[in-house]
Amino acid sequence: MTALLEVRGISVSFDGFRAINNLSFEIADRELRAIIGPNGAGKTTFMDIVTGKTRPNEGQVLWGENSKSLLRMNESQIARAGIGRKFQRPTVFEDQTVAENLTMALSASRSPFSVLRWKPTQDSVTRVGELATEVGLGDQLGRKSGELSHGQKQWLEIGMLLAQEPRLLLVDEPAAGMTLAEREQTTTLLRNLAEKHAVVVVEHDMDFVRRLDCKVTVLHEGSVLAEGSLDHVTANPQVIEVYLGRG
Amino acid sequence: MRKPLVLRHPSILVFLGVLAVFTVAVTVLSAGYGTGAISTSMVKTLGKTLCLALAAVAMDLVWGYAGILSLGQMAFFALGGYMIGMWLMVARTEGIVAGSLANLPIPPTDAEISAAVATQIFGVVGSDKFPMIWAFSGSLWGQLALVVLVPGLLALVFGWLAFRSRVNGVYLSILTQAMTLALALYLFQNDSGLRGNNGLSGLQNIPGLDAVSQEKLSIWFLWASAVTLGLGYLLIAWVASGKFGSVTRAIRDDEARVRFLGYSVEGYKLVVFVLAAVVTAIAGALYYPQAGIINPAELAPIASIYLAVWVAIGGRGRLYGAAIGAIFVSMLSSWFTGGRAPDVNLGFYTIKWVDWWQVLLGLSFVLVTLLAPKGIAGLVDLFEGLRPPKRQGQPMGPDMGSLREKEAVE
Repeated sequence: MTALLEVRGISVSFDGFRAINNLSFEIADRELRAIIGPNGAGKTTFMDIVTGKTRPNEGQVLWGENSKSLLRMNESQIARAGIGRKFQRPTVFEDQTVAENLTMALSASRSPFSVLRWKPTQDSVTRVGELATEVGLGDQLGRKSGELSHGQKQWLEIGMLLAQEPRLLLVDEPAAGMTLAEREQTTTLLRNLAEKHAVVVVEHDMDFVRRLDCKVTVLHEGSVLAEGSLDHVTANPQVIEVYLGRG
Repeated sequence: MRKPLVLRHPSILVFLGVLAVFTVAVTVLSAGYGTGAISTSMVKTLGKTLCLALAAVAMDLVWGYAGILSLGQMAFFALGGYMIGMWLMVARTEGIVAGSLANLPIPPTDAEISAAVATQIFGVVGSDKFPMIWAFSGSLWGQLALVVLVPGLLALVFGWLAFRSRVNGVYLSILTQAMTLALALYLFQNDSGLRGNNGLSGLQNIPGLDAVSQEKLSIWFLWASAVTLGLGYLLIAWVASGKFGSVTRAIRDDEARVRFLGYSVEGYKLVVFVLAAVVTAIAGALYYPQAGIINPAELAPIASIYLAVWVAIGGRGRLYGAAIGAIFVSMLSSWFTGGRAPDVNLGFYTIKWVDWWQVLLGLSFVLVTLLAPKGIAGLVDLFEGLRPPKRQGQPMGPDMGSLREKEAVE
C-alpha cells in the first residue's frame, strides 16, 4: 500500500522552541487516523506544515502517487492539490448564507476570471442541496451562517470540506464544544467520510477517539511516541506516563 | 433560467433610475438646453460630482468588498486626468499656433508647428521640447488608451508587490499613501515632464468644439459623466455579485480561510485593485476637462482620504451608499466652503463655516464610524424595516447555540 501523504523527518522550531522534532508520519488513501497528544505536542503545528501555513526547517512532505513535494507550494495550491482542512474554531463566512458558503467551496476552477464568469447551474444547485442535507443543514440553505449554532457551524464547515472534494481531510478537534448528541452525529459523519477520503482527526478527547475506532498516533514533544490501535497505545507505559497519567 | 442582474438586485435599477431622472432634470433646468435655472458653473460642479461618485463606487469595491483600505485611489483618478489633459493641451495649442503662423508669407512646416507648440506648453518650465512621455499626445485614441493603461499598470505592479508580500491592514494603507505622495512629489518637479506645479490647464476648451458654447459643453459632459457612472456602477455591481463577490467578501472577512479553500487570495485582490484603478482613472479623465485644470496637488494624500471618508459616511459595503456619500458630502462641502453657508453668531464668537467645515466633517466621520457604521445607506434599512437585533455581551460558548450573555438572562 502506497502512502497518500508521507511526512519524513520534519523539524520546526519557533524562537528556539522545537515544536516538531524529527517527525515522520504516513497515511494511506481512504484511511481514518486519529492523532492524540497533550497540549503543546505539536498537533496543530503538524497540520500547519502539511497545509503550507508553516514551513519546516528540515524534512520532506510528499503527496500523492507521484510523491510531489508540498513544501514548494503555497496554501491555496496545496488546497487545490486535494488537502482540505477543518479548523478547531468553526471558521465559516458568517456574513454569507449557507448556500453561498457551500457554493464557494464547491470543486470548480479557482481562477479569478473563470469565477467571474461562473453561473449557478442545475448541477451546482443540486450538489449544494445534497451537501447541506448530508451535514444536516438541508433546511437552512438561505440562512446567514452567522446565525447558526456552534455545532451547525462545525457541520457547515465539514460540508464545505466535502464540497472541495479533497483526497485528504485534516480535522482539528471536531468535537470541541459539542453537545453529546452532536458528537455522536459527528462521529458517524467522520466514519462515513473515511469511506471515500483519507481523514486525519486531531483530538484529545479519549472517548471520542474510542468511538472513531481507528488507528491512533500519539504525539509528544513534537514526535511520534506510539502508533497502533487505541488499546495498544493506551497500554504503552510511556503513553500512560506523558499523557494519560496526567488526568 | 436565472433572473438578470438588475432584477436580482433591484437597488441597481433604482440607482440607474434616479441617475436618469437627475440628468434629465439638470438638462431641463440648465442654461444650455433649458430654462437656465441652474448656472453653467453649477452644471459643471454636478458633472464633476458624478465623476467623484464613480470613484467612490470603485473605492467601495476595493474597501467595502475586498477589505483593502487603499488611501491612494485619487492617484489613479489624477493620472487619468493627466493622460486626457495631455491631448487636450497639445491639440488646442496646435490650433492656436497654426492659426497665428498661418499669416506668415511662407507656410510653416509640421516641425515648426510642433516646435512652437512645445515652446508654448513647456516655456513655463524652461523647456522647448516635448518630453518622451508626450509621445502619443498628438493622438486622441493614443491618450485614451493611456487613460486606462497607465493607472492600470501602476495598480498592477504596486498591487502585485504589496499583495504578494502579504502586506495587510494599516501597513497596506500607509503604503498606498506613500505611493500617491511619492507620485505627487515627483510630478511637482519641473523636469517630470508634466509641467511641474503648473499642471495642465485650459482643459475646459475642447479642440474642434470651439463653436460649442460652455453652456452646452457642460451639459454634454454631464451626460457623459452620468452614462459613465451608470455603466461603471453596473460593471462593479456585476463583479460584486455572484461567486466572485462572494469570494471577495470572504477575503475581507477571513483571508487565511479563503486560502485553504484553494483560492489564490493575491490574484483576487489584484483583479479587484486593478479594475478599481481603471474605473477611477476613467472617472478622472471625465472630471478634469470639467474642472479645467489639473496639478500635482490633486494627488495629495488628503484627496484619497476624503474619498475614504465619503465612502464611510455613505455606507461602505454598499455601492449606492458610496455614491450617495460622495455626492452628499462633496456637495455639502462645496456649499460650506463656497461661503454660501450663513455664519452662526454666538455672541462671543462667530462660526465661519469656511474655517469650521473641516471640523464638522471630521466630527461627523468619527460619529458615523462609532454610531452608524452602515452610514447613510443604513437609512434604507431602517426604511425597509430591517433592523439588526440588539445583541450585547459575548457569545456564551458553543453549547448555548447562538444566544449571548444578556439574551440568555432575559
